Amino acid sequence: MDDSNERKFQKELNGGLVGLVLLAVLAESDQDLYGYEIAKRLANANDGTSIFKEGTIYPVLRALSAGNLLTSRIVPSYSGPPRRYYRITEQGRGVLAEWKLIWQATRDFVDRFTETEDSNIGHSS
Amino acid sequence: MNRSAPRSIDQYLRQLREELAGADSALIQDALYDAEEYLRAEVAAHPHKSESDVLELIASTYGAPDEVASAYRDTEVKVKAAMATPRKEAKSVLGRFFGVFLDPRAYTSLFFLLLALPTGIIYFVLTVTGLSLSAGFSVLIIGVPFFLLFMAICRVVSLAEGRLIEAMTGVRMPRRPVYQGKALGFWARIGEMLKDPRTWTTIAYFLLRLPIGVLYFVIVVAGLAVSLSLVAGPIIGVLGQAGWFGLSAADVFSDAQPEWVFNTPFGIPVLGLAGLLLLTSLMHLARGIGRLHAMFAKSMLVARTESSVPDSARSGAALTA
Repeated sequence: MDDSNERKFQKELNGGLVGLVLLAVLAESDQDLYGYEIAKRLANANDGTSIFKEGTIYPVLRALSAGNLLTSRIVPSYSGPPRRYYRITEQGRGVLAEWKLIWQATRDFVDRFTETEDSNIGHSS
Repeated sequence: MNRSAPRSIDQYLRQLREELAGADSALIQDALYDAEEYLRAEVAAHPHKSESDVLELIASTYGAPDEVASAYRDTEVKVKAAMATPRKEAKSVLGRFFGVFLDPRAYTSLFFLLLALPTGIIYFVLTVTGLSLSAGFSVLIIGVPFFLLFMAICRVVSLAEGRLIEAMTGVRMPRRPVYQGKALGFWARIGEMLKDPRTWTTIAYFLLRLPIGVLYFVIVVAGLAVSLSLVAGPIIGVLGQAGWFGLSAADVFSDAQPEWVFNTPFGIPVLGLAGLLLLTSLMHLARGIGRLHAMFAKSMLVARTESSVPDSARSGAALTA
């Protein structure tokens, strides 16, 4: 277990990010998506391996749905149990816009420190 | 906890269930449902690979059972904290006693108890009709399909009842139905259903809901009527004496009411206070009954963790066969 430190850090980072990414994926999609489909979109966007464990997006989907940021409907499926298709709500779009701003501000803030190691001069301008 | 990586959907689900041991039974049902949706979709998406080949990679995509279990646990805690309305806990005994009026759960529980009568009637009629028609049709060719239809309706209704209870009392109930393995044969599924104790506890619950609903309804209606009239009585008495309603006090409370109660400066506040105490106790009672009922409903409608192990084991076996 050499990578347990990395895994723990990644897991802590993901805590709030999963919700942001899920909202963003659903806001961009013009059709309703179900859990597996969303998981695969995330994985495909990152060369087949999602940085989230795909199992962790399901509880977050349910939490977002419980907070009225997503609505869902159930559709029978041939391959397994009926699927729950999610769609973003207007409230969800509002929250997404806010979260995007917070994320951008956070990313810029963190970048300011982490990038100085590589290029000290770059940020003085 | 290092154990052998799951080689089949069934093994994965069993390990996930073990990892979630001790968690809320409704949460376990949801987690297993989500995992099954993903795993079956993943297996279906790779028709050329065997189930065990697909499962080999699952720990790096979906996540190992222990990771998934902890994700559900963490999210549940966060959601609970975020959804809970922040409440100021009153310190004094008196504050805590009357604080029940500020608790939305008390009002929703009260409403749930009132609603228990109409819903109880619906459940009772549904169950009695379903059972007796099933018995009657059992000699005909439509008997078995009819019974299956009846059971399917029961499952949906029990999920709906769970949602209602969670909305009204705040006790966690399943958000997903129980998924029955699809690969089972027609007769095997019926046998499964008949052997599943949850089938029978669900039916028993629906039948019991009528008498229980009558009891709840009577408690709430009688409690509200008595306590509210006690609160209102003195006010009307005072106003009546002051000449409101165009009547004298003697007309309002002729011989039906004991004169001394309304005519003494001592009796009026005592009556009002008694009504207020009764009303507050009723709110406490409603909240308590709501919680107790939710626990009762959970024990009857939600499968215990062990009871569903064998049927998913069989569905997994049937799928690989």
